[in-house]
Amino acid sequence: MRLHFADYLIIFLYFIFVIAVGFIIKKRIKSSNDFLNSNRSIPLWITSLAFISANLGAQEVLGMVASGAKYGIMTVHFYWVGAIFAMVFLGVFMMPFYYGSKARSVPEYLKLRFDEKTRGLNALTFAGMTVFSSGISLYALAKLLEVILGWNFDLCIWAAAGIVMVYTFMGGLTSAVYNEVLQFFLIVLGLSPLVIVALQDAGGWESIKANLEPQMTHAWKYMDTAENNRMGINFMSLIFGLGFVMSFGYWCTDFLVVQRAMIAKNMSAAQRTPVIAAIPKLLMPLIVVLPGVIAIALTQPALASKGYSIPLGANGEYDYTMTLPSLISHYYPTGLLGVGITALIASFMSGMAGNVTAFNSVFTYDIYQSYFVKDKSDKHYLNVGKMITLVGILFSIGTAYIAASFNNINDFLQLVFSFVNGPLFATFMLGMFWKRTTSDGAFFGLLGGTIAAAITHGLTLAEGKGGWISPMFPISSGMGQAFIVASFSWLANFVITILISLVTKPKPDEELKGLVYSLTEKVYATEKKWYLRVGPLSIILLILTIILNFVFF
Amino acid sequence: MLNKLNQLSFVIGLFFILVAAILIVGYVMGGELKTPINLYSGIGMFLFGIFMVLIKENEEPNS
Repeated sequence: MRLHFADYLIIFLYFIFVIAVGFIIKKRIKSSNDFLNSNRSIPLWITSLAFISANLGAQEVLGMVASGAKYGIMTVHFYWVGAIFAMVFLGVFMMPFYYGSKARSVPEYLKLRFDEKTRGLNALTFAGMTVFSSGISLYALAKLLEVILGWNFDLCIWAAAGIVMVYTFMGGLTSAVYNEVLQFFLIVLGLSPLVIVALQDAGGWESIKANLEPQMTHAWKYMDTAENNRMGINFMSLIFGLGFVMSFGYWCTDFLVVQRAMIAKNMSAAQRTPVIAAIPKLLMPLIVVLPGVIAIALTQPALASKGYSIPLGANGEYDYTMTLPSLISHYYPTGLLGVGITALIASFMSGMAGNVTAFNSVFTYDIYQSYFVKDKSDKHYLNVGKMITLVGILFSIGTAYIAASFNNINDFLQLVFSFVNGPLFATFMLGMFWKRTTSDGAFFGLLGGTIAAAITHGLTLAEGKGGWISPMFPISSGMGQAFIVASFSWLANFVITILISLVTKPKPDEELKGLVYSLTEKVYATEKKWYLRVGPLSIILLILTIILNFVFF
Repeated sequence: MLNKLNQLSFVIGLFFILVAAILIVGYVMGGELKTPINLYSGIGMFLFGIFMVLIKENEEPNS
C-alpha cells in the first residue's frame, strides 16, 4: 500500500485538528474537576457519541471485522446480545446511583457503598488494565503502520503517543471526549464507502448468502449445539456468558465507558447517554462486521475474479486481523485511502486517549488522593492529574515495547480483563440492589470470583490456551472459553458475596441512601416530550434489537 | 468565527469540509484522485460538514 500527497494531507489535517481541539479546550481548564471530570458540563450528544467511541478503539474495529470474516454474521451477537441490553440497563437502573451518589469514579462508588479496601482493589486492577490496554493499542497502531505502509515502528509509537499526550495534557478529559466524537464520525464516514463498494463488488447480500455456508449468514439458526457453528458455543453459553456476565460486566462497571455518562450535565442526560449511544451501537455491525463477512465471501471460488484475498499469516492460514487493512488497500484509491488510514489511526488514538484519561482520574482520585496525599489544594490535584497524564503516556509507550517483545501479551491482557470484569458485575448488582450486601462480602466475593476465573481457565483448554492446571475440559474456541471463564467467575463472586454478607454486619440504612435501589428516591422523567425520556427510548431500542435478531436469525 | 471554534459541531464540520475539498478538488484536477468513489465520498462528507457547521447546539441545564 502506497500513500500519495493527498493521503498524507488528510492524515496531517486530522493531526492538526485533534491538537487544535486540545488548544481550544485548554483555556476552560481551571480546576482538577475540569481536567479529570469535565466539571459535569458536557452536552448529551457529545457524551453519547464519546460513550460509543471510547469503545470503538482499534481492537474493536479491526477485531470485529476479523471476527466477521472468521465467524460470520454471528459476530453481531457482540452488539445485539452483548451490548444493547447492558447499555439500556446502565442508563435506566445504574446511572441514578453512579451520577446521584456524586462519586467521581466507579471505584469511588465502591468506596461509598462498601469500603476503602474494595475501592483500592478495583482502582489498582483498573489502573493497571487501562495503562496496559493503552500501550497495546499504541503497539498495534505502530505495528499496523509498519506492516501496511512500511513506516518506522519507533517513529509511529512516539509520534502517536506525542499527539495523544499533547491534546490530553492540554484539555484533559474534555479534550479526549471531544476528539472521540471527531474520531467517531471519521471512523463511520471513513469506512462507510468501503462497505458500499465492497458489497456492490460481491454482488449484494443475496450473492454473499449464496456463496457462503449457511452458518456464516445466520446469527441464531446454528446455535443449538456448539458443534454446529464456527464459534463453538451454544445459545445458552452465549446468552449467559456474553449477553449477561461479560456484557453487563463491561458496559455497566468499566469506568472507561461509564465515565462518559458521568460527565453529563444532569441526571436525565446521564441516564440517556448510554441509551442514545446504543442507537449507533445497534447499527455499528454494518461498519465493522459486514466488511468481514463480505471479505470472506470475496475469497470464495465464485468471486475469485474480483481479485481480493485476505492476507495469509506465518502459519499459512488467513490472518483475519489484516482483513480491514487489506479491504482498504484493495478498494480505496488515493484520497479515500488517506481517509481510511486516518480512520484506523483515529480508532487507535481514541482507544489510547480513553484509557489514559480514565487512568489519570482513577489514579489521582482513588489512589493518590486516597492513599498518599490527602487534603491538598485543588491546584495540587490539577497538577498531579496533568503529571499523571504524562506518566500514563510514558507507561503506555513502555507497555507498547513490552508488547513488541512478547507475542502473547494481548492474550494475557484479554485474560486479565475476563478475570477482573467478569466477576465485577456481581459485586455491583448485589451492591446496588441488595442492601444486605456487606463490605467484606463484596471484597472477598470479588477476590473469590477472580480466583474462580483463574481456576476455570486452568482447567479448560481452547486453541492451545489455558489448561495450565490440567486440561480436563477441551473447548473448541477461545471465545467460548472466555464466556465460560466469565460465567464461573461471576457465579463464584455472586455466591461468595451472598454467603459472607449473610454472616457479616451490613452498613446502616442511613449510610446507604442514594447508593442502594430500595433506599433511594426514584428518579422520574421531567422531560415533556416522550421521545426525550429514557423509558420510552429504551423500550423502542429493545424492540428494534429483538427485530434485528429475528431478521438475521 | 473564532467563537464558533468553541462549538464542537462546527470544528467537526470544518474538518469534513476540508477533507471533502481535498477529495473533490483532487477529482476535478484529475490524476490519481480522479475516481468516482472519491467524488461521491467527497460530496457526502461535504454535505455532512455543512450540516455540522450550520447545526445549532442547544444548551441543556446543569444539574
